Amino acid sequence: MTLPVALYSAPDGVEKNFIPTPDDPRYLTTEGRTTGPSDHVLNAGQIDRDKPSDPKYTADGSQLTYLSQLRTQLTGLQDDINEFLTRRMELAKNKKKAGAEEKRIQEEINQLLDGGDGEEDAD
Amino acid sequence: MVNLNTIPPKNNRDFYIAIGLEGSANKLGVGIVKHPLLPKHANSDLSYDCGAEMLSNIRDTYMTPPGEGFLPRDTARHHRNWCVRLIKQAMAEAGIKDPTLDVDVICFTRGPGMGAPLHSVVIAARTCSLLWDVPLVGVNHCIGHIEMGREITKAQNPVVLYVSGGNTQVIAYSEKRYRIFGETLDIAIGNCLDRFARTLKIPNEPSPGYNIEQLAKKAPHKDSLVELPYTVKGMDLSMSGILASVDLLAKDLFKCNKKNKILFDKKTGEQKVTVEDLCYSLQENLFAMLVEITERAMAHVNSNQVLIVGGVGCNVRLQEMMAQMCKDRANGQIHATDNRFCIDNGVMIAQAGLLEYRMGGIVKDFSETIVTQKFRTDEVYAAWRD
Repeated sequence: MTLPVALYSAPDGVEKNFIPTPDDPRYLTTEGRTTGPSDHVLNAGQIDRDKPSDPKYTADGSQLTYLSQLRTQLTGLQDDINEFLTRRMELAKNKKKAGAEEKRIQEEINQLLDGGDGEEDAD
Repeated sequence: MVNLNTIPPKNNRDFYIAIGLEGSANKLGVGIVKHPLLPKHANSDLSYDCGAEMLSNIRDTYMTPPGEGFLPRDTARHHRNWCVRLIKQAMAEAGIKDPTLDVDVICFTRGPGMGAPLHSVVIAARTCSLLWDVPLVGVNHCIGHIEMGREITKAQNPVVLYVSGGNTQVIAYSEKRYRIFGETLDIAIGNCLDRFARTLKIPNEPSPGYNIEQLAKKAPHKDSLVELPYTVKGMDLSMSGILASVDLLAKDLFKCNKKNKILFDKKTGEQKVTVEDLCYSLQENLFAMLVEITERAMAHVNSNQVLIVGGVGCNVRLQEMMAQMCKDRANGQIHATDNRFCIDNGVMIAQAGLLEYRMGGIVKDFSETIVTQKFRTDEVYAAWRD
């Protein structure tokens, strides 16, 4: 069968192709690593009754049915995309944090150079 | 006069069949509705009397442990993983073997609601549309409730009180739109009740509001209400302050804070108010506010019919209070449905969507199927009404 693919592109020029590797176990399950219940509800005592159904095999049991192959490959693909986007978000967050820290230090230096003693708000 | 037979049914049949998919909050619903093709609908104002037959009405609710609400991500996951199973079950129950031949239209909730769950369901709707080559119609969730209520109760032109976990509105029809006469300024009534249920840590099954209603019935001091803010503002209401107030009382009750003179006797320190009393007082207070604005809307539009829709509409005490008000007005009538149609469901989306479809309103491009969290009732042009 033709493999499902996903293409990501962003305004900053980042491009990425997502293609499943059919024999890799992560593309042979309907239970994704990133598509389970959130930790918050599990910690609150949630019993997961909303799992996706297991993939189905052909009558002779030799291989997954066409739709099940598609489902398992999409599950793995979704994991790849989620992990990639989470990494991108973390990078952006760290960059923002570093920028804010740099700005704070620069402001402090400017204040000192201007002869400020940090008491301008005292009145 | 409107012509509900603008689009003929598929394959020269004498009936229409619509599938409705609902998933704007924690309920996932799939419903199948059948309308007969009747000559009287060609030139009339009979959108409240379509002769609808409910072929299936299946619902699955995403449940969380006591004290927890439903998060968008987990609710969307529930809908994603159950949607196909529910569609299959609904089609089997309705006896639909080949949807390409048998189904006229697929209707889905376009909004308002929680973004992630809405998105899960619209993807299923788009997939079925492509797979079966059946057109789509996007439905406003509130309009779904109204049209289902009208069809079930045969209320021709009622003032509608729409009360649920996400909405609180008093609505009346005028000039091709359902106009909002009054609404909440902050949280919805169902949200107020659900959040109080979370404070009390009572079960979410079958629904937090139902459990509050049952507790309220057992209140030992019904003759002396606990005083809570009464916040009707013109035709609108506000409920967040009431929730904060009753939450504080419940927390003081659990902590046994004897300094609280509302809960404990000043001299003896004896407990005067129970959790059941708080539930009772909260209900009485909120429902009295709803009755007040509904009565005012009835006076505005000179109507004597009230239709209560939405999940909170199942509350028997609310129906009683509204019936009392209607009785006091000349020939007033109250219309309400049971929990099959009051609580979010798929058939209501199928009913409203099929009315739109019969007037020729279908999605022409998938860009029109983008779901939206904010979608006001009065944005919809009700082509099927005179």
